Amino acid sequence: MFPVIVKLLLRRALLAVPLVLAVVTLTFFFIRLAPGDPAAIMAGDAPTPEFLAQIRSEYGFDRPVWAQFLTFLGKAVTGDFGISLYTKQPVFSVILERFPATVLMTGTAMAVASLIGVMVGVASAKRAGSRLDALISAASLVGYSVPGFWVGQLLILLFAVSLNWLPVGGMEAARASYRGWRHVEDVAWHMVLPVATLSVFLLTMIARFTRAAMIDALDQDYVLVAEAKGASRTRILWHHAFRNACVTTITVIGLEFGAVLAGAVVVEIVFSWPGLGRLFYDAIYRRDFPLLTGAFMFSSFVVIVVNLASDVACTLLDPRIRR
Amino acid sequence: MKDAITVKPPPFAARPGWAARLSSGFADLRELQVSTVLGVGFVAIICFGTLFAPLLTAADPLGLSKETLLGPGPAHPFGTDDLGRDVLARVLYGGRVSLSVGLFSAVLSLGLGMTIGMVAGFFGGALDEVLMRVTEAFQILPKLLVAVVVVSLIGSGLANEILVIGLLSWPATARVIRGRVQVIRHEEFIAAAEMSGASWVRVLARHVTPNVLSFLLVSASLQVASAIMAESFLSFLGLGDPTHPSWGLLLQQGQLFLQQAWWLTTFPGIALAMTILGLNLMGDGLGGSRAGTRATRR
Repeated sequence: MFPVIVKLLLRRALLAVPLVLAVVTLTFFFIRLAPGDPAAIMAGDAPTPEFLAQIRSEYGFDRPVWAQFLTFLGKAVTGDFGISLYTKQPVFSVILERFPATVLMTGTAMAVASLIGVMVGVASAKRAGSRLDALISAASLVGYSVPGFWVGQLLILLFAVSLNWLPVGGMEAARASYRGWRHVEDVAWHMVLPVATLSVFLLTMIARFTRAAMIDALDQDYVLVAEAKGASRTRILWHHAFRNACVTTITVIGLEFGAVLAGAVVVEIVFSWPGLGRLFYDAIYRRDFPLLTGAFMFSSFVVIVVNLASDVACTLLDPRIRR
Repeated sequence: MKDAITVKPPPFAARPGWAARLSSGFADLRELQVSTVLGVGFVAIICFGTLFAPLLTAADPLGLSKETLLGPGPAHPFGTDDLGRDVLARVLYGGRVSLSVGLFSAVLSLGLGMTIGMVAGFFGGALDEVLMRVTEAFQILPKLLVAVVVVSLIGSGLANEILVIGLLSWPATARVIRGRVQVIRHEEFIAAAEMSGASWVRVLARHVTPNVLSFLLVSASLQVASAIMAESFLSFLGLGDPTHPSWGLLLQQGQLFLQQAWWLTTFPGIALAMTILGLNLMGDGLGGSRAGTRATRR
């Protein structure tokens, strides 16, 4: 039994390899696609001739395209994304510096969204066709349709500017330097609005798909059998139906993670949150292309890993997928 | 196999007269849900406002004035921005930009998605396998971030935005169409057409296409919504075309004055949200009534 699962997981992991290659290839292609000299793109707007020559030899832009590609690929998969044109630091270390803030915000938002989304979806499916169900469906369509950054702006207008309850942005109070528990409290306080903003989209996605999957699951024969055996309502709902429906929920989280990360980018900008999103924004504005392409490849790798994890989780949860 | 025994109409049955057709059309309308009607209403209001912008406001969306950051009032119903430009005019004319980008990139992505989906579903086998793996890869990649990188590198501008969004958004349509074509593929009329010597191009164009059009219609309204969302994302990141301010660009400007001028973000945002919500409501409604099946969202 054990080796079968290991083999299966390995096979899934191997599927991620072509995706990683595709991301690097695409990035290379984009850099070549851009009008002008690729070395000039990597070297910034007004490079010194020496720096331009250095970039040219480093990436081998004077060699044939396939050789350039192999160099680029070799550098990218080992985490060498080049040097940021603005800070002059290695791009990878700049990204790693910012990444924890994004993980903190996105992770919290995903936890909140999953928890509430599942609750809402299950409650909706339990009373499918009722007034509550219709209300939830309408609300989730609205939540799905409203752009995340605008929700953030509205929340700032309401809770930070008008009511003055919560901070406008940032990750910690600028004037005070708290330590220990006070610091945690301070960060949590700054996180309320961005996390709420980012959760809206994922929450509505999860609620919609969980509802559909639960309605489907509650209609299956195994639910009928459980009812016939006299299992309690709660047990049927969570143990029999949701265990099957949650495979859909996890798949949705995996598939939507790219959109969540993109949402995090704009939410971070709205709330001046010092994570990857700000990095993207700064890179766009300063035309810092090594930083931009590096941040893109890094985010894509994260998305691929999360997808892989959701795939694996589904496989472990649902024996029917292990063929 | 159930489909094989459906009752066929007698060959010489008279077509229903215009009155019968009209009344059955109204019956269809009555079946529409309130939400669908609401969606159509939202989209209609926005289309009217953007098309007839010159009738609704005399102000120039790019015209500067000394009345900077004025709140909403009789002269400027939506207020003015930091350069004294009328926000109502900017929202109305900005809608033209947002809607055109949404519409054109949706046309591109629908065309691509339909072609890829039809080919994959019709031929099956290795070709299907390859196309579907590519589709999945496209779905996993963070589409909006890809768009950010490409537009930064090749330069902003409406044409580039349309191209990039269109080229990245086809997977959803391709999957829906492929699923539908796989069902149709084994219908008798396809076999009949093939046996009468029709080429595969003709079979796809004449016999398959009409049967997937209703699905394409549902997909279309959702695609326009998601393309408008994508455009606002790019513009918000400063990758829009500053000479053609869209709603996303207005929201980006609003962000700078969030604490002084609420009207700069509130009004463009309402227009944007109304459009996307309207299109999604329409798509959901059409998916429920016309095509008879729920179109998958992605």
